[in-house]
Amino acid sequence: MNRLFGNRTAIAFLVLPGVAIMVFALIVPIGFSFYFSLTDWAGFGAFNPVGAANYKEILTADPVFWRSLVNALILMAVTIFIQNPVAFALAALLAHISQKASQIFRSIFFVPAVLSVVVITKLWVNIFNPTYGILNKLLRLAGLKSLAVSWLSNPHTALGSVIWIIIWQGFGWALLFYYTGLMTVPKEIEEAAVVDGASWPQTYTRIILPYMFPVISSVIVIDVISSLKQMEMIYLSTDGGPGQLTQFIAVYLYQKAFVASQYGYGNALSILFVVVAVGITVLVQRLFRSEGEIQ
Amino acid sequence: MKRIAALLVATLCLATGIYAQAKVTLKMGDNLPDRTSTWGAVVEQINTEFKAANPGTEIVTESYPDQPYQQKIKIYATAKQLPDVFKYWSFTSLLKPLVDGKFVVPLNMADFKKYGYIPGALESNVYGGKLYGIPVSADMWVVYYNKKLFADAGVTKLPTTIDELKALAPAFTAKGIIPMVTDGKDAWPLSITFDQLAWRISGDQTLPQKALDRKIKFTDPVFVQAAKELQDLTTKAGLFQDDLMVSDYGASRNLFGQGKAAMYLMGSWELGLGSDANFSDEFRANVDAFKFPILKNGKGKTDDLFAWYGGNYVVSASSKSKDLGVKYLQFYAQRFPTLAWASQACFPAQKVEPRSSDTPVAKSLLKIAADAKATSGTACLDLSTPQFKDDNQNAIRELCSGLITPEDFCQKLDASAEKASKQK
Repeated sequence: MNRLFGNRTAIAFLVLPGVAIMVFALIVPIGFSFYFSLTDWAGFGAFNPVGAANYKEILTADPVFWRSLVNALILMAVTIFIQNPVAFALAALLAHISQKASQIFRSIFFVPAVLSVVVITKLWVNIFNPTYGILNKLLRLAGLKSLAVSWLSNPHTALGSVIWIIIWQGFGWALLFYYTGLMTVPKEIEEAAVVDGASWPQTYTRIILPYMFPVISSVIVIDVISSLKQMEMIYLSTDGGPGQLTQFIAVYLYQKAFVASQYGYGNALSILFVVVAVGITVLVQRLFRSEGEIQ
Repeated sequence: MKRIAALLVATLCLATGIYAQAKVTLKMGDNLPDRTSTWGAVVEQINTEFKAANPGTEIVTESYPDQPYQQKIKIYATAKQLPDVFKYWSFTSLLKPLVDGKFVVPLNMADFKKYGYIPGALESNVYGGKLYGIPVSADMWVVYYNKKLFADAGVTKLPTTIDELKALAPAFTAKGIIPMVTDGKDAWPLSITFDQLAWRISGDQTLPQKALDRKIKFTDPVFVQAAKELQDLTTKAGLFQDDLMVSDYGASRNLFGQGKAAMYLMGSWELGLGSDANFSDEFRANVDAFKFPILKNGKGKTDDLFAWYGGNYVVSASSKSKDLGVKYLQFYAQRFPTLAWASQACFPAQKVEPRSSDTPVAKSLLKIAADAKATSGTACLDLSTPQFKDDNQNAIRELCSGLITPEDFCQKLDASAEKASKQK
């Protein structure tokens, strides 16, 4: 076996299938995408090279691209600073109640995560519907008629409503990760802290949170990636509207490539999308790595 | 030995016969997912008859709602996987890119002239002097209404002006009825309405084309006023459904068909509302149509009819069964007007005879067509490049969501038209 791993040809031979898959599934499509991003191709017919014109237009004259990016950052912030703490607190609560009750609550909270995106989106689109939706009916019954608005088409509530749907579906995953993480914290550490006179906030902030750091960082990285690549939920609910207020990059590049027949432009958007996504992910991971080293 | 030889010959003949009748599958695509009623049922009937007339032919149809279907066709074109025969639209923004890319085959005009097309219908599918598609319907922009809901709300007179139309809103709202619905999510109905309003104001239907040709500007007062009227109708008049901008075609149509809305702003291809088995008998008996209202101080007349020939059928240039595809189009051209009019599914782009058994909505639409003193042709969003169409729809969405002023809207439209004129 040692001889096999000492043989460079054998190593190359063993690594080749994995590398080939990576090249054909990742590098080649990105390469093609980059090539078409330098053209004015409509998706069919002849095309002309346009150099970096598409990139220049996106970065200097396309407010929708920046709006999409800002929306992704807002979603990211809401996920990290609201969804995660709530999920963590609830997971901590579930970790301290009876196993049977915990199991029931975990199942309930995880239901949205196992439902299809189409089902969830249609469910919430119907709940938010101003004509027959249950939300406005309840608000009117409660005497809050002024709050009964058209949630998904009102410029003031559309983004919030869409983010709510996304958060609602993703909550179960965050809860599950945190609950599983909390279950791995050795009881002896907690007991030792209590013996040493630590209060429960001290136990959580000084002992459990640092112990959970790898789990928290993994959940946040997943949240960052998920915020950037939002597509189906937006496409099925608002399609980026009203105007472009709820637009996200993945939906926008699809619209440009296949609705507006600006395939070259859409590919330029996708390349920038890759750059932004990789950039932010690397940044977040570095942040956590240096934080982890300090810890 | 002779017997064996005869048996062999007979087997060979039989095998050859079977081979001769080998199945040919014609892949088709259209935007008619409902195959059990109105237009979709007519196409199914034509397919059944075509298969019977051409033994060995199988037809596999892929159907999606309007906008997803358009996107699907563009994706198929990119992947070089277009269906053999497919429904599309004759517009410059849609068909011309396929013609320029040689994705559809030219047809022989003489083969189709004999099928009684209304003058100008076939010509709407001509690019570079060649016919590329056969038109299917004559399209008019009208207002459908539910007579029972009008009576329930105490409305006895049909609105003839925009002011009268807006004045109806409180009467319906007080009864819990949505005054009017349309497809706001896809934006094109609002773009057509913008053109219609500009015509009602100016009395000149050629202005959008002139603006696209850069002879005038979209920032001219007539367009700004039309944008103001449209924004007022969609954001201030309380006329449309609250979620207009996220209501798609199916959602808005269902609100009207299920008796939740009194009026439906849509094209004459919805003639089938009067015979659609998916809706109640009461609705079908009460659905009717009236002309798009005029503006009180506008130069446009009631009988200036916004009408065009939109939908068509084309044959893919990469099809292995091109001849069979063209044969299908001929069969379609022959059978569609009879079947479509018999089931009152839509207004064919071919001559049809009025009958006493026609539904009330069909009779009204025939009268609207007969009364027309002038027609518009295609809406401006479909007269230019695909990018102009996208810009037009996005700007309309922003205008009708109250996110931009009418002046900003016109600036955006003009900038896009300027860009498109340089791309042509």
